[in-house]
Amino acid sequence: MGRFLYDLFYNTDTLLSGWSAAAHASWAARGAPLVVLDLLFQLMSAAAVSAFLVLNALFIIWFERKVAARMQLRRGPNRVGRFGLLQTLADTVKLLIKEDIVPDAADTPVFRAAPFVVLAATFLLFVVLPFGKGLVPADLNVGLVYFLAVSGLSVIGILAGGWASNNKYSLMGGMRSAAQIVSYEVPAVLTLLSVAMLAGSLKMGDIVRAQPVYGYALLQPVGFLLFLIASNAEINRGPFDLPESDSELVSGFVTEYSGMRFAFFFLAEYTNLFLAGAFSATLFLGGWRGPFLPPFAWFLLKSYLVVFVLIWVRWTFPRLRVDHLMQFSWKVLLPLALLNLLVTAVLVKVL
Amino acid sequence: MEMKTESAVARVVAGILSLLKGLWITFSYLFRAPITVEYPEKRVVMPLRFRGRLVLPIDPNKGVDRCTACTRCVKICPNHSIDIVTEKSPDGAPQPRPARYLYNVGSCMFCNLCVEVCPFFAIVMSDEHELATTEKSGLVVDLVAEKHRLTGKKATWWLLKFRGGEEE
Repeated sequence: MGRFLYDLFYNTDTLLSGWSAAAHASWAARGAPLVVLDLLFQLMSAAAVSAFLVLNALFIIWFERKVAARMQLRRGPNRVGRFGLLQTLADTVKLLIKEDIVPDAADTPVFRAAPFVVLAATFLLFVVLPFGKGLVPADLNVGLVYFLAVSGLSVIGILAGGWASNNKYSLMGGMRSAAQIVSYEVPAVLTLLSVAMLAGSLKMGDIVRAQPVYGYALLQPVGFLLFLIASNAEINRGPFDLPESDSELVSGFVTEYSGMRFAFFFLAEYTNLFLAGAFSATLFLGGWRGPFLPPFAWFLLKSYLVVFVLIWVRWTFPRLRVDHLMQFSWKVLLPLALLNLLVTAVLVKVL
Repeated sequence: MEMKTESAVARVVAGILSLLKGLWITFSYLFRAPITVEYPEKRVVMPLRFRGRLVLPIDPNKGVDRCTACTRCVKICPNHSIDIVTEKSPDGAPQPRPARYLYNVGSCMFCNLCVEVCPFFAIVMSDEHELATTEKSGLVVDLVAEKHRLTGKKATWWLLKFRGGEEE
């Protein structure tokens, strides 16, 4: 029993592959098609990811509200449940039973679909995210490219939502978001390129294993910082929250959304926050590797550390002006990222 | 030209330092105790001159309130929130006593003019500030029938006023 528990936490990869092999063998012995079994396994991992996604969002929203409150000398949510932990759950229930309003002049099918596009793009990112040793839905050999490609996908949903609302604030929010994600994708790609050069692989599992104990953050301090800034801008959070800057655009692209559809945008937003933390941890902080604690615990610890830093930054800095935002990406981050790439390339060849 | 590049570098460094300074401030605030008073459970003690609802307190020396029904407060009230019914003796002569002192909380704007104009220090603005009622009729209070008694610091302060002592 103790042996099993140890394996469950510390050698999850061998345990899982053992189970999978046994299931495949018995399935094949009965002559059933293996495709069905594979599909079943994938559905199981999808269910696990969905459960994690929802629980994580419930926790992370509470966490951000608490941290923000303490930074402003407030108490934050403390009414529902112990320390207000169930506040988000109560809010979610409220949002789900509220009326789902579609504006008269809206492009109804697009308006209805947009939140799901955003959430789907977010959900797809979990495919290559290694939660722990062997705990990855599919460790693609083009994992890094997949991550970059899919992370830019949510902008379609945001732009669609902004356009379909038929509201000037929504449209401007959507357009700003598109411009922002396109601009900040470039430095992000360039910094990840240097990570790929160091690791010699695009596979997430290989990148985690190739890192020294202290991670790439110390080898690539500039790259780590650039990636943090760029991913913070890509997930539309302060000080880069121009797409929903409430002082000028009401709520940007979510202005016309209510009830469940608003909840989906919200869920996607906070899941993206976690993903920014999780991928920073995986690519720069050594992912699930670490002493003593089980890999899954290390992964969560590092991810939430980065999430805390992003929350801290959001509640400290004021929002950028829209032209400064573009300038910052193209005139500061991009040259720095190129320089970082050049130095890394030379050092990789020389050393 | 040399000066210009130097100042640009200095500006970048100063900018980064200012960002770090901001981060340090928010981080240090994280470990301070919250200043929130959790209101329904805990309440702050109101300052001495807090202007809550008007009361006509019982003077502990006389056992009744100090009002003489001179109606100066009625006349000065900008919102006509006060109405005094003078007490009559059995033969119909008006007495220097209010039979009823009707105060409308709904239209009162807590300007304190009535308290200032009162020559007998009969009325005081109390600490009461939770003034919501479930019915409109609850907004009009008869202060004579209420027989309010001041307590604490406010009582001492009020008593000193008409004993000719120093305020506070």
